Amino acid sequence: MSRNAKINGPAPGPVEMDRRKFLKCSALAGGLAASGALALHQAFSGDAQAAEGGAYIHANPENQLYSVCQQCNTNCGIKVKIVDGKAAKIDGNPYNPWTLNPHISYKTPLDKAATVEGALCPKGQAGIQTQYDPYRIVKVLKRAGKRGEGKWKSIPFDQAITEVVEGGDLFGEGKVEGLKDICTLRDPEASKALAEDADAVAKGKMPLDEFKAKHADNLKHLIDPEHPDMGPKNNQFVFNWGRLKGGRSDFVQRFCGALGTNNRHGHTTVCQGSLYFSCKAMSDQYTDGKWTGGSKFYWQADLLNSEFAIFVGANPYEANYGPTNRVPMMTDGIADGSFRFAVIDPRCSKTASRAWKWLPVKSSGVGAVAMAMIQWIIEHNRFDARYLANANKAAAKADNEPTWTQAAWLVKVGEDGKPGAYLRGSDLGLKKEIRKDKDDKDFEYDAFVVLSGGNPVAFDPNHEENAVEGDLLVEAEVKGMKVKSVLQVYKEVASAKTPEQWAEIAGLKASDIADLAREFTSHGKKAVADIHRGASQHTSGFYNVMAWFLVNILIGNHDHMGGLCKATTYDASGKKPGQPFEVGKAKAPKSFGIDIIRGGKAFDKTTLFDKFPAKRVWYPFCSDVYQEVIPSIGDAYPYPIKALMLYMGTPVYSLPAGHELISILSDTKKLPLFITSDIGVGETSMYSDYIFPDLTYLERWEFSGSHPSMPFKVFPVRQPVVEPLPEAVTVFGEKMPISIETLFLGIAEKMKLPGFGENAFGPGLHLKREEDLYLRMVANVAYGEKEEGADKVPAASKEELDLFAKSRRHLPATVFDLTRWKAVVGEELWPHVVTVLGRGGRFQDFEKGYKDGLLANKYGKMLGIYLENQLKTKNSMTGKPYLHYADYVPGPADCMGKMLEDEKQGFDLTLLTYKAVTQTKSRTSGNYWTLGPLPENAIEINTVDAQRLGLKTGDLVRVTSPSNPDGVWQLGPNTKKPMVGKVKVMEGIRPGHIAFALGFGHWANGSGAQTVDGVTIPGDKRRAGGVHANAAMRVDPVLKNTGLVDPVGGSAVFYQSQVKLVKI
Amino acid sequence: MARQPAKEDPLIRMQKDLKRAKEKDQKTVRWIMVIDQAKCAGCHACTVACAVENKLPPGVIYRPVTEHEHGQFPNVRRSFQPRPCLQCDNPPCVTVCPVTATYKNAQGVTVIDYDRCIGCRYCLAACPYGARTSDFAEWHAKEVPAVKGVTAGGEWAAAGYEEKPAAEYGEAWKPRSRRDSPVGNARKCHFCLHRLAVGMLPACVTTCVGRATYFGDRNDPQALVRELIGSPRVMRLKEELGTKPAVYYLV
Repeated sequence: MSRNAKINGPAPGPVEMDRRKFLKCSALAGGLAASGALALHQAFSGDAQAAEGGAYIHANPENQLYSVCQQCNTNCGIKVKIVDGKAAKIDGNPYNPWTLNPHISYKTPLDKAATVEGALCPKGQAGIQTQYDPYRIVKVLKRAGKRGEGKWKSIPFDQAITEVVEGGDLFGEGKVEGLKDICTLRDPEASKALAEDADAVAKGKMPLDEFKAKHADNLKHLIDPEHPDMGPKNNQFVFNWGRLKGGRSDFVQRFCGALGTNNRHGHTTVCQGSLYFSCKAMSDQYTDGKWTGGSKFYWQADLLNSEFAIFVGANPYEANYGPTNRVPMMTDGIADGSFRFAVIDPRCSKTASRAWKWLPVKSSGVGAVAMAMIQWIIEHNRFDARYLANANKAAAKADNEPTWTQAAWLVKVGEDGKPGAYLRGSDLGLKKEIRKDKDDKDFEYDAFVVLSGGNPVAFDPNHEENAVEGDLLVEAEVKGMKVKSVLQVYKEVASAKTPEQWAEIAGLKASDIADLAREFTSHGKKAVADIHRGASQHTSGFYNVMAWFLVNILIGNHDHMGGLCKATTYDASGKKPGQPFEVGKAKAPKSFGIDIIRGGKAFDKTTLFDKFPAKRVWYPFCSDVYQEVIPSIGDAYPYPIKALMLYMGTPVYSLPAGHELISILSDTKKLPLFITSDIGVGETSMYSDYIFPDLTYLERWEFSGSHPSMPFKVFPVRQPVVEPLPEAVTVFGEKMPISIETLFLGIAEKMKLPGFGENAFGPGLHLKREEDLYLRMVANVAYGEKEEGADKVPAASKEELDLFAKSRRHLPATVFDLTRWKAVVGEELWPHVVTVLGRGGRFQDFEKGYKDGLLANKYGKMLGIYLENQLKTKNSMTGKPYLHYADYVPGPADCMGKMLEDEKQGFDLTLLTYKAVTQTKSRTSGNYWTLGPLPENAIEINTVDAQRLGLKTGDLVRVTSPSNPDGVWQLGPNTKKPMVGKVKVMEGIRPGHIAFALGFGHWANGSGAQTVDGVTIPGDKRRAGGVHANAAMRVDPVLKNTGLVDPVGGSAVFYQSQVKLVKI
Repeated sequence: MARQPAKEDPLIRMQKDLKRAKEKDQKTVRWIMVIDQAKCAGCHACTVACAVENKLPPGVIYRPVTEHEHGQFPNVRRSFQPRPCLQCDNPPCVTVCPVTATYKNAQGVTVIDYDRCIGCRYCLAACPYGARTSDFAEWHAKEVPAVKGVTAGGEWAAAGYEEKPAAEYGEAWKPRSRRDSPVGNARKCHFCLHRLAVGMLPACVTTCVGRATYFGDRNDPQALVRELIGSPRVMRLKEELGTKPAVYYLV
């Protein structure tokens, strides 16, 4: 019998089968199956690590570890199958709700789950090519030429740490300040006093001279004593990150806190900034006399229960915190006809191509569709009047509604007819009450007012018992004041144009929008508009998003099954009562001052204010404005920066007009020290002074949290599953591979930073290795959030404890040491921690996610649809108050609000980007398996435009724009990469628009040559396929080194650049 | 129709179907696959999962997904069609093999005996669906140079996955090299027989994001696939050739 006949059955000759042999074989197979899969592989694999004849060792739980993918930010749960210590295959973790619907019960023993696997997308499947990428780096690289020249030398880790901390003439180009020179304010008491008084100076409560006299000894620590609100020199160290999740983010905050810098910025605005920051504004509550407490988050659809969904600039079949978890929720209902969906997108995405209705909107018209929907819903009385009438919490509760809105609240109408601030009790002559705030200080409470049956009624929005409902469409006079209800304001705003006019702006048929609105209002609460980048990455992103959420609010679908959902996670911080380890506390100097992106601050409320406009935009409602970090360093506004550390980010590649960053990053005067943490030499790390190798997602820890597409309470755990590549080094006496944590620990040890090393978390609780933090966080999650551990996860069985060690037998002591791990959390908690780690996290069971038609994990608060904070804050560029309600705001506009005229100048095509399902934005081009289905992208263009321009599929074209007329990436003084791509002519894109998929057209990240220690490693041209046309995106004519922005919600604008194609 | 809460993932149901099939007389099992194109998201996860499961080198692909655009703007649809080996009941590839290296097993799966295959590629030409490819011993990343101890280089990729043997046909193949099978052989989809043997569904099925790919025993009246092939949407590719594929499409 031939050797592969065990499973095939033997070769029978061309036709006849050898019956005797066949029976023998099938008996073997049948018999094994009957005894169960576990028995089978045990029978076949004495040593489970060795691939012995016939055994499928992937099925053995001893060869499986559960973790979390990070090939994109969906962060699906994974089951990694290990062979000879290497990751051999990755599948979905069936305990994790991202990969199965419903996911298996948390109680399922690990051996029963061994042969069950959930789904993963192609990127997740290809993950081992990220792990075993030949272009990864093992040691610290220091530049051996000019920045960006591609010349490096490897240096010992300790030397790199010394140089970064101590500074000196590091590159033969003169002295560079090290971190010890930059972060000089280290005294917690002094920094606290400075912070408080600097704030008082900014508020005009303390004269500058008094401040200077009081803090004479410490003025040397300030960036500019004339402007104490810029904060300490420590702020001249910037930490900027791309993809960062829990655990590692705790490390970042601890590290930056210890260094005393306020400059800690993420990348939010390159993804969907205005989506986050409009929802932050909408979730502000009226607390202690002010609008505050909004969360940086957003809502998505509970697709598993929706009957109708509108995807607004969202593409869940390819990206959008899908496809793995979202697509099956959709196809499940498509199959039995209980779900259908529409897509609003100028491009016929894979999602749109399977939709009930594709509405190929003009890119800049996406907000107009919302206004037309709002108008139709109000005019046709298709809103949920019962829900909207609830003015406060008590009224909502009485209707079993978890949320309520301001729809019925009254606002005062100004002389100019414009809606202004809310009508208050004091306007009616009611006395303001003195109440106590959360710090037990007095504040004045002034009630809000509705009209109820025509009579004014004052109410408290948060009252639990006095239910107040209001009339919805009110236009009246109260005590001689003209007032309107908020819903009335929206009725008028949405009626500013006829349905046909809105449709014309959107480039759609009014009848199609009416059909959409009718369908949307025909499913009770089980209809939903799911909003993403296609709405938010516009110059009017904030208002597009708000308008679309208002569409949802009109049917009151928040917290309802099939409606809008928010993310919910288990608390790992240790702050809940009884949790064993409070890991957030750390001794540190007080960080304070205006940050480099001017986030969370109004220009006119600082000492820098002289006149409008400001030199660059201020973002009072945002944080993490990615496109501002490096350009602001370039402009030294509001102050110069001395060192930048960039983690897992590539702003040059990923930002619109990212090419503008290159000259700034290459200039050692503008940025004296540039340190990156990367797994290879990427499009941005190639300009750095030092690259510290990092671990891949399969080699390290991280807590990926959740996303609003997930209704269940979760805490997925990423953990080391394979041996790490980077060299092992010694820090705090411990041996560990180089990683971002090792970099932090190394600097902390060298600078003796507080909150690290001995007793970092309290007596006997050290932080010398990454898992000193991470295991304690997992212990908190295992313990749960109820007193006395009432919702602790079960302790692992003896079998699972044994399996825990066996399945990690291939991991070196630099990342796994059972005795040490146990000691970190203690004997008592250890078996509970093993339960969580063994399953790749903690996951609420499926049936606990829903109750009585509602989501179990609720937002459960007021939804703001009329924003007084916006009304009362001045735009730093115009000096005028921000628009404080949703409306259609035309674009594209520059940061002053002036419309761009590029289209009239002959730039006839709107450039769009999208994510192909096979690539994440910047870092999967080395996954050769996913390059199989799509080796390169194209410039996608409608047949009509192609004919007009004389183009056919396969032609090469250069993409040019008003701010990049040559259509090139200027990568260095003498290096250019033309923005040239192949044309693909198609029907599935709106005429006047072209699109390209992100993730292609690389020049680093293994696609360009690098010289290391004198040896040149050539790039791989497969990794350079296609075109990356971000450099054609419009540079803001006022800011000059940044792409277009949404000055309210912070978004970097991706969908409003006008370009021309030049045939080559 | 009103939406009902999810009760059981099709993957779990099909794994139960598989268990039942494994427990019965194997002569009566007939594996079939059903692909619902209304549910296929065109994600290519099956293509890649299959490549990783079977450690496929560049140029070898068992289950491509083709994409087609239909209609004119703005009435545009796209369809996605995964194409595994169709495991024909009447397979043209089998009869042309000069060394009987390829044949149908008892459950209807057309397999290749790599030890017998001489790499003549007659079967590639004979298959009307293009379901077979030749393994020309190419590497994804093994040949990338390294600066020793500083960059990972091709050795890292080789040790990680490129030289790792696949688990195909339940056999312990030698580390992949230019000399040994399956290099030089014809290769094709085999419904992941090695996974079926331990009660696991084919890799393309479990990773199907749209749950568009179904698998099971045609002869089991309780099997999900039996329900599906009764659909009025069912078709098979190039039925007119008389190949009688075991892969059904719902269109």
